[in-house]
Amino acid sequence: MDVLCKILSIPATLLAKVPGIGPIVKVCCTSVGQKILMALTGLSLCGFLVAHLAGNLNLFAGEEAFNGYAEKLHSLGPLLAMAETGLFGMFVLHIGLAVSTTAMSRRARTNQYEEKNSKQQGFILPNGGASNLMLVTGLIIFAYLVLHIIDMKLNLRGFESGDNKFQLVRNVLRNPMNGVFYVVAILALGVHLTHGVTSACQTLGISHPRWNKLIRILGVLFAWKIAIGFISLVVWAYATI
Amino acid sequence: MSSESLNLTLRIWRQDGPNAKGGFRDYKLNGVSTHMSFLEMLDVLNEQLIEAGEESVAFDHDCREGICGACSLMIDGKAHGPDQATTTCQLHMRRFHDGDTITIEPWRASAFPVLRDLVVDRSAFDRIIQAGGYVSVNTGNAPDGNAIPVPGTVQETAMDAAACIGCGACVAACKNASAMLFVSAKVSQLAVLPQGKAERGERVLSMVAQMDEEGFGHCTNTSECEAACPAEISVDNIARLNREYVRASLVSGK
Repeated sequence: MDVLCKILSIPATLLAKVPGIGPIVKVCCTSVGQKILMALTGLSLCGFLVAHLAGNLNLFAGEEAFNGYAEKLHSLGPLLAMAETGLFGMFVLHIGLAVSTTAMSRRARTNQYEEKNSKQQGFILPNGGASNLMLVTGLIIFAYLVLHIIDMKLNLRGFESGDNKFQLVRNVLRNPMNGVFYVVAILALGVHLTHGVTSACQTLGISHPRWNKLIRILGVLFAWKIAIGFISLVVWAYATI
Repeated sequence: MSSESLNLTLRIWRQDGPNAKGGFRDYKLNGVSTHMSFLEMLDVLNEQLIEAGEESVAFDHDCREGICGACSLMIDGKAHGPDQATTTCQLHMRRFHDGDTITIEPWRASAFPVLRDLVVDRSAFDRIIQAGGYVSVNTGNAPDGNAIPVPGTVQETAMDAAACIGCGACVAACKNASAMLFVSAKVSQLAVLPQGKAERGERVLSMVAQMDEEGFGHCTNTSECEAACPAEISVDNIARLNREYVRASLVSGK
């Protein structure tokens, strides 16, 4: 992991030497700076999720509506390529920072406790809630993302599509293995966002005793609205003929 | 409570020195009064060990009334034991039951190396304070009362942050061994007051840099620190540190 960290930190080390942006890069490299970047990229990716879900909900409107949406999106050409590059950069940064901060924490405690218990109460998930599941849910989402691009964007596994995005999406989802994995991954996304959204707000300093409860509720609502939205598409694929 | 005396098994981490290999050893302790504090119980154990010609168990303690921050034990996997807002010295044996096995470990963090048995070196905290946790602006003679108006709510915020006794339970309880709660309390107590505002930017940048230098982990907002804190420092302070940090890195002096 430390080796991976060294490789990942090369761009940051180089950027830190560039006059003008050097100081701000250095600030971003501290533990707090890394978390702030992680929060910013995470929230931006949430924005992408909203747009992606909104677009895909066109599936419910039927073949014509969805294909029309897909065509319009692809007719953007260079704009879409730019957006995709930005998105890719965001993912790489988010994941790279996750590796870096995790490595930092591993180094911070090399001898583990024989017995460790939480002093907090009232978790639905075991072992301290969603905050302790960020790495594992993140890894599931990453694996899903790779498969998702292979199938939906590139169709490398050759699903029947008739050059029609609507058919392709439905056929990919109707593969039982895919269906199960998609649902599992989206549930993982829900858990990831349950902690992620509120945590990002706290990291960005958006916190006040008066608002914290509301932020928490909205964060969890957002997470599961997104998750249920995407799962509904999988259900749709099996419900329609 | 049926019985006023307990027979206990203590699983205690024993380590001869900073570089020695440590391990757990079990000790039987009978007739422990439920009125004893946890540290008094360890005193009794040590007397028993000394009488038997064995090395006593080293542990940190000083005031024994919850204000110095010296005591520091991981008791059954919980920093300062099972009670909320309590230091180890304020924990009483009435919290335990006859026949219990109690696991006692030192704080575990790379930045807090074990010196001996249950004693760890917490000087990393001192170095973080030295990096900027003070006001160095010369204020001259004591000003007239109320010459600098400070609203009551601001005073309360500063005072709540200043309640931190620097025991290190936040680091011990954090899965990442992060010192963010400690540092944020020390940043907050000064950043909100007029006397501390003058140096707020430099302060937060230097203290965070020192925190990283000491090898603490990053904050992942689990709030485990808040639950373990004997002084009930709120994680709202961490959000304030983050705000201070963003502000300082964007617009502060250098």
